[in-house]
Parts: sequence; C-alpha cells; structure tokens
Amino acid sequence: MMFACCRRNTFLITHKRLRLGFRCASSASSTAEPADTIFALSSGQGRCGVAVVRVTGPAAGGALRRVAGLSCGLPAPRTALLRSIVHPQSKEVLDRGLVLWFPGPHSFTGEDIAEFHIHGGPAVISGVLQALGSLPGLRPAEAGEFTRRAFHAGKLDLTEVEGLGDLIHAETQAQRRQALRQMAGDLGHLYNGWSEQLKRCLAHVEAFIDFSEGDLIEDGVLNQVDIAVPQLQMEIEKHLCDERRGERLRSGVQVVIAGSTNAGKSSLFNILCQRPAAIVSPIAGTTRDIVETSLDIGGFPVLLSDTAGLRDTGDCVEREGVRRARQMVGLADLTLVLVDSMQLPQEPQMVSGFLSEYLKNVLPSAKDHEQGYVLILNKSDLLPKEHISMIQNVLTQTSDMAPVSILSCHSREGLDDFLTLLQDRLKTLCGDPLAGSPSLTQTRHRAHLQKCVDALNQYYEYRDTDLALAAEGLRLGLSSLGRITGKVGAEDILDVIFRDFCIGK
Amino acid sequence: MLRLRGLLIQHHFLSNCSARTASSVACREYDVIVVGGGHAGTEAAAAATRIGAETLLITQKIETIGALSCNPSLGGVGKGQLVKEVDALDGLMGRAGDYAGVHFSILNRRKGPAVWGPRAQLDRGRYKEFIQLELLNMPRLTVIEGSVEGLLVSTADPEQPGKHTVTGVRLADGGNEILSSSVILTTGTFLSGSLFMGKTTSPGGRMGEPPSCSGLTHSLREILGLKLGRLKTGTPPRIVKETVDFSLAHLHLPDLRPTPFSFINTHTHCKPEEQIPCHLTYTTPGVDRVVRESLHMNSHIQQDTKGPRYCPSIESRVLRFPGRQHQVWLEPEGLNSDLLYPQGLSMTMPLEMQLRLIREIPALQRADIHTPGYGVQYDFVCPTQLFPWLQLKSIQGLFLAGQINGTTGYEEAAAQGLWAGINAGRTALSMPPLSLSRTESYIGVLIDDLVGHGVTEPYRMFTSRAEFRTSLRPDNADLRLTPKGFEEIGCVSSPRYLEAVRVRQGLSEALSALKSITMSPSRWKEKLRDACISETKSTLISGEEMLQYKDVSFDMVASAFPEILSPYLEFSERIKIEAVYRPHCEKQQREMERMREEESLSLCPDIDYFSLPVSLSDEVREILDRVRPSTLGAAMRLQGVTPAAIVHLLNYVTRTGRRSRAQRDADRQTKTPDCKHRPQTDQQAESNQNQEAGIVVQN
Repeated sequence: MMFACCRRNTFLITHKRLRLGFRCASSASSTAEPADTIFALSSGQGRCGVAVVRVTGPAAGGALRRVAGLSCGLPAPRTALLRSIVHPQSKEVLDRGLVLWFPGPHSFTGEDIAEFHIHGGPAVISGVLQALGSLPGLRPAEAGEFTRRAFHAGKLDLTEVEGLGDLIHAETQAQRRQALRQMAGDLGHLYNGWSEQLKRCLAHVEAFIDFSEGDLIEDGVLNQVDIAVPQLQMEIEKHLCDERRGERLRSGVQVVIAGSTNAGKSSLFNILCQRPAAIVSPIAGTTRDIVETSLDIGGFPVLLSDTAGLRDTGDCVEREGVRRARQMVGLADLTLVLVDSMQLPQEPQMVSGFLSEYLKNVLPSAKDHEQGYVLILNKSDLLPKEHISMIQNVLTQTSDMAPVSILSCHSREGLDDFLTLLQDRLKTLCGDPLAGSPSLTQTRHRAHLQKCVDALNQYYEYRDTDLALAAEGLRLGLSSLGRITGKVGAEDILDVIFRDFCIGK
Repeated sequence: MLRLRGLLIQHHFLSNCSARTASSVACREYDVIVVGGGHAGTEAAAAATRIGAETLLITQKIETIGALSCNPSLGGVGKGQLVKEVDALDGLMGRAGDYAGVHFSILNRRKGPAVWGPRAQLDRGRYKEFIQLELLNMPRLTVIEGSVEGLLVSTADPEQPGKHTVTGVRLADGGNEILSSSVILTTGTFLSGSLFMGKTTSPGGRMGEPPSCSGLTHSLREILGLKLGRLKTGTPPRIVKETVDFSLAHLHLPDLRPTPFSFINTHTHCKPEEQIPCHLTYTTPGVDRVVRESLHMNSHIQQDTKGPRYCPSIESRVLRFPGRQHQVWLEPEGLNSDLLYPQGLSMTMPLEMQLRLIREIPALQRADIHTPGYGVQYDFVCPTQLFPWLQLKSIQGLFLAGQINGTTGYEEAAAQGLWAGINAGRTALSMPPLSLSRTESYIGVLIDDLVGHGVTEPYRMFTSRAEFRTSLRPDNADLRLTPKGFEEIGCVSSPRYLEAVRVRQGLSEALSALKSITMSPSRWKEKLRDACISETKSTLISGEEMLQYKDVSFDMVASAFPEILSPYLEFSERIKIEAVYRPHCEKQQREMERMREEESLSLCPDIDYFSLPVSLSDEVREILDRVRPSTLGAAMRLQGVTPAAIVHLLNYVTRTGRRSRAQRDADRQTKTPDCKHRPQTDQQAESNQNQEAGIVVQN
C-alpha cells in the first residue's frame, strides 16, 4: 500500500501502472457485468489539492462529453483539457478542472476511460460523483472492479497480479468500515428495516407461488404484499429526495483512543481537542459512552473518538460502553492504544511481551495487520528517566512492534514527538485512496436504492398477469438493497416461508 | 402409444428373459452397475444404457422396480420442471407419468407460465408396469435380483483425484462378485433404515420389504471414510376407499384437457373423460387432541433427527401450528384400486391411535385403515463429498443418486439418477464427465445446491431456489436440454432430437415473422378488435410486442395475418410464452453468461488448500478445503469466501490452466491421451451453436 501511495502522483497521467485507480464497494462481491460503465474516485480525501475521478466502460465517452460540455467531440487522446464540470440535469457548474480521454484498448482497463481532475473538497467530489451517477448506464464501481477489468484485459503484469488480491482485500476492508460507519445509527436502521420488509414480501409471494395450491395459503397473502410494496417504494423515494439535505457525511479519518481504564484516554482526547471536551477524573470508568469530535490535525480531517476503558465490569451501563468502545475500534482507520506506564512490568525485558498481550486485548483481531494503530505509553512523568530509556532500547530491538510514543499528558513531555508521528500517519491515511470515501459510499447507496425503486415497479406491472415476473421485480429489488445491507439468499426466503406458513403438502 | 402396445405384446416373453439369477451374471463384467431400482436407479440404468454402456441393475425384487412407495402422484410446482427436464433428456419419468396418470392438472395456472406446475395423480400399477416394460426390454441392460453386501475397492489411479477406485460389487448370499469400473448407489432409505410406528422400531427402508445394505453402510462409513448424516421421513396410512363418505369432502376435478408431461407425447394414455377426481377435506380439533394424547407413544416424533419442513407429519404440523385446520387430500391410488392416499396425514403413532385420528375427520368417520402409516429414519451421505457429476470425490467410479444424497421426492431422485447414469456411463466409456449449470436447468440448480451447500433437512425442489426461474421454464425444457442431450451428451434418441429441432425452428421462424409485422397502435386496434391496446404509444408495435399484452393470443394475431402466421398455429401457446418472457430473459442473459464463465473455470479437486502458494486467510482455506468447490463459480457462492480470495484463486486457476494447456499441447505431440477427468461445461460452444441456428431459447 505504502508503495502504491508514494508513487501515485507519477501515475495519475501516465496511466501505465495504475495500482490504485479504483475504488470499491462494501463487502459484497462484485456481481457487475463487464459491459457496464463504472466510475470511482481514485484519489484520497483530506488535504488533496486535486481529486481524480475515473470512468471506465462503453459509456465513458458519452459521460465525458455530457459532464464536460464537449458537444463537438471528444478531446484528443491522453491530452489534458481545462473544462467546466457541469451537472447534466441541473446544469449547475460543479467545478472547473482538467479532463482526459483514454480510448480503449490503450488504457488501464482496456476499455474507454474518462478522467476528471477536480478540486479536492468534499462538496466538489460529492457533486461530481452524484452527477456521474445520474447518467443512464453509469454506476459506482464495486470492490476492485477497475483492477479486475484491467486483469481480464491482460493489462496487469504478473507482479502486479500477485499484489492484486491483497489490494482488493485492503480495499474491501476499508470500504466495509466506511460503509458500516455511514450505516451506523438511523440510516442503517432504515436500510435494514426496508430489507426486512422486502424480504418478507418476497417470501410471501414465493410461498404463494410454490405452495398455494396444495396448502392453505390464500390470495389474502398477496393483499398484504400489495399494500407493503408501494409503501416501501414511497419511503425509499422520499428518502432519495431529501437525502442530500438530511444526511451528514461522516467524513474524515476515523481515529479512536482506546485502552484500559485510567490510562489517560480522556486526557489525551482533551489535549488533541484543545478544550476539555471529555470529563477527566482519577476514578476508573469515568468515560462510559463514546465522546466524538471533528478535528483538523495538521490540515487533515479527523473524526476523533474517546471511548470507555476496556475492562470486565458488572455495571451494565459501563458494559455497554465497553461494547461500544470495541465496536468503534473495529471501525477505526487508526487506533491510538493508550497504556498506563505504571502498569508496565518492572523488568524491561518483559515489556514487549506485556505490550503485545495488551494490543491483542484492545484490537479486535491481532492478526488484522491492516488495522493501523499507534502505541502510546502515558504517564511517563511518573517513571524514572533511566527506566524510560531502558524501555525505549528494548522496544527498538523488537522489530514487529509498531512505533511507540512515550509521553505524559500531565507534563506534556513527549507530546510534540507524538503529534509529528500522528501527522505522518494521517498523511499516509489521507493520501491513501483506500481509506474510504463517504461520498462514494453515499453515491453507491443512492444508486442501489434507485435500482430497488425501479425494480419494484415491475411488481405492479405484472401483479395481475404473471406472478413469476412480478416476483422477479421483488427479487431484483431485494438484491439491490442487499448490496447495501447484505445478501439475502434462497434459504433466507425459505426460512421466512416456513416460519410464517404451515406447509404440509 | 402405438409403440407401447407393440411392447405390451412382447411383455411376457421378455420379462421371462430377464428373470436371470444372480449366479448367471456373477462372472461377467459390466460398464456400469446400478444398485437399487427406485426412481433414481431406474433413470440411472436407463441413461447409462442410452449412452451406450453395458449396464447391470441390481434390485432386491424386480417386482418392486418403479414402485411409488409414498404418494401416488408426480410433478407439481418445481417438481414438474424436473420431470420436464428429465423427459427432455429422454428419461423415463415423463412418459411413465403420461402412461400412468389418471388425473392431470397444471398447478399455478393463474400465476405465469414460468411457475406452472404440471402434476398428475398416478395409477401405481400402471406406473410400475411402464417402467418395468421399458427397462426389461432395453438393449444393453441386464436386470437381476440380489442384495449388494459390499463394494469392491482398490487403490486409486494416481493420475486421477481420489483415494480409492471402485472395481465392482459383492452380492450377499454366496458372496458373488461382479466387476465394473462405475457403480451407482441409489439405495434410497435403505441405508441403515429403521421403521417407526408407535413405540416399536424395526430395521428396514420400506414396510413389507427386508432390510438391506448393512454391509454397504459399513463399507461407506468405515472403509471409505465417508461422512454420513441421518434424516427422517414418513408416509400416511392407506385408507379403504369404500369406507369413506365423499359427500363430506370437496370434489376436486382434473383439467378438462390433460396436458402430457413428455415433449414427445401429444396426449396422455388416460382419456380426458376417464380421469378420476380427488377430494379435499380438513382436520378438526379432535385431530389435535389425538396427536397430543398419543405423543408419549410416538418415538419417531420425539427423535430430533431432521425431517422436512414442507412435508411434515400431522404430528409436527399440529405441534407447530396448533388450533388450525389443516388440509387433507384424499387421492386415488389408481383406476381400479380400493385404496385412498390421505395426503397430509403422514403419521407414526400406534395403529389404534391412527384409526382414532382419522375418524376425527368427518369424511373419514367410519373409515378403515388398510396399511398403517409409519416413519423411516435413514442414513445419507453428505452430498458435499460429491463432484457436480455425482461421483464421490474420494472414490473413483462410485456415483450416488437419490435419497442417499439427502433429497426427498421422486422427481429429485430421478433427476439425479439420470445425471449419475450419464456420467457413470461416460466414465466407463472413457469420456470426460459433464456438469449441468444452474443457468440452464433445475437439475443444475438441484445438484449445485447439494454439492455446494449440503443438506440440513431432506432437500426438495422449489421454484424459488432457481435464480433464473423466468428462463428455466417447464415449456422450454426441450429447447434448453434436448439438443445438448443429443449433440454433446448422447443420451437422447434421434427422433426426439429431430422433433426438438423442428420445434426450435418453428418457434424461431414464428417469432421472426411476428417481429416483421409492425404497425401503429391504431392499426392494431382495427385488426384486433377484442384486444385492449393503449393508444398512448406513438411508436410502431411489432407482432411480438403485441403478444406481450395480456389479452392478445397468438391465435388472434394469426387470424389477422393468416398467410404469414398460420403455419405456426401448433406452437400457439409456446409462442405467446416466448414473446412475454423474451425481454426479461434477455436482461438475465448477461448475468447468466457471467455465471457460466465462472463455472467454466474448474478448480482441480485435489488442490491442497492449506499449502496453496497464494495469499488466503486460514478461514478461507478451511472453507475451501471442507467444501472443495469444483469451479470458481461454486467457490464464489460460498459464504465466507472473500472477493480477494476469489481473485487469488482466479489468478491461480488461470496460471495453472495456462501451464496445463501448455502441458497438454506437449502431451499431444508425444501422443499421450488427454486428461480424462477434466470437467466440461462447454457452454460457450453450445451458445455459439445456438446463435448459428438462430434459436429462440433463453437457456
């Protein structure tokens, strides 16, 4: 990943070894057809002066002409052209930027590719992605789709192919975290609720198809579906209309402070916020819920969260706090793992063993190496100087340990070094397009929801003439929703059928 | 029908012929041995024979070949599709149904042709008669009575995947050995079967027949190390017809015009007016009471072995949904039978309680039981141990089909039997095995579900299992499978093939003709006065598009353009269906092609996933090792296999594929024979052919 990031700039125009020219979807595996035209943001978020959006597929040329207002034809291949980027429906000017045209087969994917180099602000990026999504035949790319197309077109050399799986894995993970974050709370509740409703509708129609003649399933079953489907469709449509206003994008790098109780997590949080946002006290278990704030650290957008100290507890409120803390860590791009130096073993040789055990406890899966973390030993002011340097010596010799910061929130000693380290990590994360883009996630969700609404129309169209085709509409709708909330298979449907009906034939 | 009468005359002569004793075949060697004469066994033997293999069928009693051991009916929603597909591949079941049916109806008539369920009540005697007649007269097929005690197994051919290779079977009574390189086991519920009624348990797979297969179970579990599971099922008591008061039940009439199952039959053996009705009645609160009172005397229901959720005994229905009326169908057992089959009353309580229970139903107040209901528990072989061509992955030449794979139902058994028979025959004749895709048939869906996911309850086909349901319709099974059956598989006779080609040609011409007729909506309205056509459309409408209107039939359009369309009137119904479904099938086409492409990338069955030099997580390695998917497509459908893992696998497959292609080229130059066990789907070739022939099928 690191390799890919530092070489990004050189690849933006040359298009030769494009190792990060794609952005992926959530955990769903790609079921997209090769002939679709897909688009993705292929640069990072945050302090990027320029963001790059790519479109590949047969409709790429048309999309370029419509969005860049090129009525008289496509630009010369591989030549940058300065244009206004316009929303094809509202005609609103979204940005002014460079556009490039790479006709197939001499492109990264072997297909026609259009590229937009626009300003890096979230509003601009979001606007351009929405504009592309509104064009017929275009949809956001799924996990690893750009690279997969390049692979199928034979455009990757063998060493690149070797790295491809890892790349897609990392990308899928980052996208999964991003999607879960966007889905957390009300939105997820809403989507899951729709998916449940639609699943039930489909199950009832399927029950009516597969069992009605031999069993006691009456036409009344369909009446319920007839009421539920239009309601569902209306709700989704309403949501699609007001989504842009109502939904706050959770953008920025998600940084979570975690560790055992009384390690000084809230103190560090307050220092980073430069205000007493979290209550700090010497009583273990003071912080119980997630405390969250948006920050700008060295120019990078950060969503910083303080969490409850991780310990087994009988208090049910605190237990819920610990559960939330662990969930938060699972979704984080970067975890600041805080350790109370006073808890370290006296014997410096034992320190690294202690710390790796500690990490295992804090991070959900110690094997999960793409989960970034920084280890921080707090309360250094309470340790003798020579002890600290002994620990430092031991830790530098332990090769598999991530960088360790030793600091004191109380005396502020070591804080500058830590901030430098943190900024470095943020820079990497922000420059890495894999860190997940909320606006793309949003665009994807919108695309799937719209598809779902369209598919549901098929239900009414055939309700009275051909139930198999009507059910097909519900199936398609559910599979679109499933791209957001998780796949619903034939067995899930059968489970609902056998739960709700007594099938005896 | 003519052919049947001809055969009937020879019946006596030939059935004498076939009564060979086990000793007379003992020293012989066969291409294929089929063990079991149920629906799977008979289709397997017939299919192996059709593709040219010298075949032996071993059954306990020739007399029970083709017996319908449970309900006297065939087809239904989902199951009817399987019957049509078995028929399209020239199997026996569809034609047997047309010969034995006494009450034909198409279920779901109101719900769209894709989910129509052709179904028939059967005459048990006639069904058996037809199947026995066919089998006992089949060239290259020998049928003997006997009981198989064990499998002959030797060390595996190191060139092929698998730990053992089968070399034949050993018979009970004297231990005669018969050799064969392909053996198909279709032992149904006889694998460690036990029968349950009340508190008594006895060994066996079907009431009134000796238990068998204890040696086989031992062979499979202990010697071959296969993973077995246990399932249960049951059958209702048979009721004496003359003791039933039909005036208290609802009459249920068959279709006025019976529709045959088989694509080569134009009518059924039973004349429309000879058909006999069914009756429908309901359970009462008294039935609930008897079930509850008898629970302590019912050991079958107390067992936690998995039974089917969709065909439960009356006991489990009452326990799961108390206080409801449940349907009971009173089905005839045959034209001249004195018995009735009460569908929905499968039960395992003691006989005296069974009698009390049925007499709680008004129409059965004075009914007598001829044979009591009972439950069966039996072993099955976990089907994830099979290749999609139904051979065990660990034993070369050993194929399994039917209930032994955890399915339930005649149609599911027949479908597997047919496919196992084809592949056992091909293996014996040194041809590569074949798999059917989910995109082309319900048989493909059935087998893919079995080998890909295994079973947790007896597996039955539902249309909701087929993701491409609107393309895999009962009406087009012949277009989907018959040409392939003849051209690639060799299991279809040439007259049937020629008929399918003729139909394909006719449909294709008719649809082109319809497309060529284009007019404005108002002109159409003039031509077809009865149809309600929306005139809002300003564009021209083709004849094909006109058929997409609900009320417009092909006959109506044909009467407006007799000179162009009258030659195709015989296909009237099929043309209408094709026209309605075509746009939807075209939308599915791309998704289907993608699936076929993935299915065409085969994963070698003996890959050691734990040492595979690609980056896979331990979890994914474990899943792949456990399930051993045969193709990349099957791997993608496994839960827990990540997109990244798929890319690694794809990469691996393409790399090794390239290497093995190079290897093969080198081999060819040195004249060594080609790899025998490479699965073929050859979808691509087929679809190309289809395109050339201008077919209208969306398979």
